[in-house]
Amino acid sequence: MDTKKLTAKDFITVGIFTAILFVVEFACGMLGYIHPYVVASYVVMIPLVGAIPMMLFYTKVKKFGMISIMSVLLAIIMFVTGMGYLGAPLIILAGVIADLIAKSGGYKSVQKTVLSHGVFCLWICANYFPVVITAQSYRQGLVEAGFSAEYCDNLFRAINTKTIAVLLILCFIFGCIGAWIGKAVVKKHFEKAGIV
Amino acid sequence: MRLKLDPRTKLYMLLIVSAIVMMSATTPFLWAIRLTMTAIPLVLLVTEKRYASALRFAVLYAAALLLTFRFLSEESTGLLKSLLTGYSGIVVQFMPALITAWYVVRTTKIGEFMSAMQKMHVPDGLAISLAVVMRFFPTIKEEYASISDAMRMRGVALGGGNAAKMIEYRMIPLLFSCVNIGDELSAAAITRGLGGKGKRTSVEVLRLRAFDWLLIAAFTAAAVVFAVFKYVL
Repeated sequence: MDTKKLTAKDFITVGIFTAILFVVEFACGMLGYIHPYVVASYVVMIPLVGAIPMMLFYTKVKKFGMISIMSVLLAIIMFVTGMGYLGAPLIILAGVIADLIAKSGGYKSVQKTVLSHGVFCLWICANYFPVVITAQSYRQGLVEAGFSAEYCDNLFRAINTKTIAVLLILCFIFGCIGAWIGKAVVKKHFEKAGIV
Repeated sequence: MRLKLDPRTKLYMLLIVSAIVMMSATTPFLWAIRLTMTAIPLVLLVTEKRYASALRFAVLYAAALLLTFRFLSEESTGLLKSLLTGYSGIVVQFMPALITAWYVVRTTKIGEFMSAMQKMHVPDGLAISLAVVMRFFPTIKEEYASISDAMRMRGVALGGGNAAKMIEYRMIPLLFSCVNIGDELSAAAITRGLGGKGKRTSVEVLRLRAFDWLLIAAFTAAAVVFAVFKYVL
């Protein structure tokens, strides 16, 4: 396993963890229909919960490209599930940068991993892109889809061009915090069991 | 009757439907297009003898449509109503894409998928990962169900009301089994020559038949008409 090129096993690992991460995202996404403020709190929930599988994933990443491919897959899945293509550049950009950061730490350095996960978590904000960029038509779409006017007002109060910067920063911060927690959880459960 | 569609046709359908669910339908005519496009994968599911899932999807979609148009409006307030609005809203919005995705995942063999990807010149790495993702959702669902059962049996399903515990109790066993399944999957796939140097060949030769072209044409037309009526007229 000292080759630089990615092997079939690596691709399979990427596939599995992408699926798990998406399930986490989807589960959190379902909660968003309770109240729009929950939608805004994705930036807290998904990095924290998703960090556990992600940290396990990072222990398996040894070569450049795995995190990037994951981001491409996420972009594809987001499109297919109807979240739009507007966020795709952000997802992939975050993935590649996260990959580069992790690479600079040799995929071993703890600080770099934490930082990398923080950057990677920025992909969550891609969920908000349709809300921010196409605000007018998106709102119209929501009202027609049967959402209450109250829901829409709250949604746009929580997520707009002004708050998106805050949300991005929150994503990063909670991505880093999540990474620490995730590392601890992985250590507690998986290292003992000898899986890592 | 069993129609054998080319995986490329299926993927194309998925692409178009995903694009259409992003544009909200505003007039009865647009709704008609949308409903037709939802009906096609449903019919295809029936032809593949997936009666149960076709019925489930149809009933759920119909119920959500009914709820959205009959009983709920912009003014609906209150927790129950807003929950209901939210969920029927999401069902109405995303169901077409979900049905199509389900159809594609359930009726495409992994070999077919890989050979279609190869024909479209998608890099091998991306194709492998995508194939694994596709295959893995049902596996996660199964594993999760077994974990829930086990937890309920031992009476720890709610984790003592502690949210972090609840997540931990579910996530860790799930990850354990997923990692193990992944290892087995890699071993199986590599034994069968995945990631080898030679060019992959396929037993089934993929060919776009008349019916494939018909569907592709129909979906393209639907997408164009939808976009024109929504944004131009």
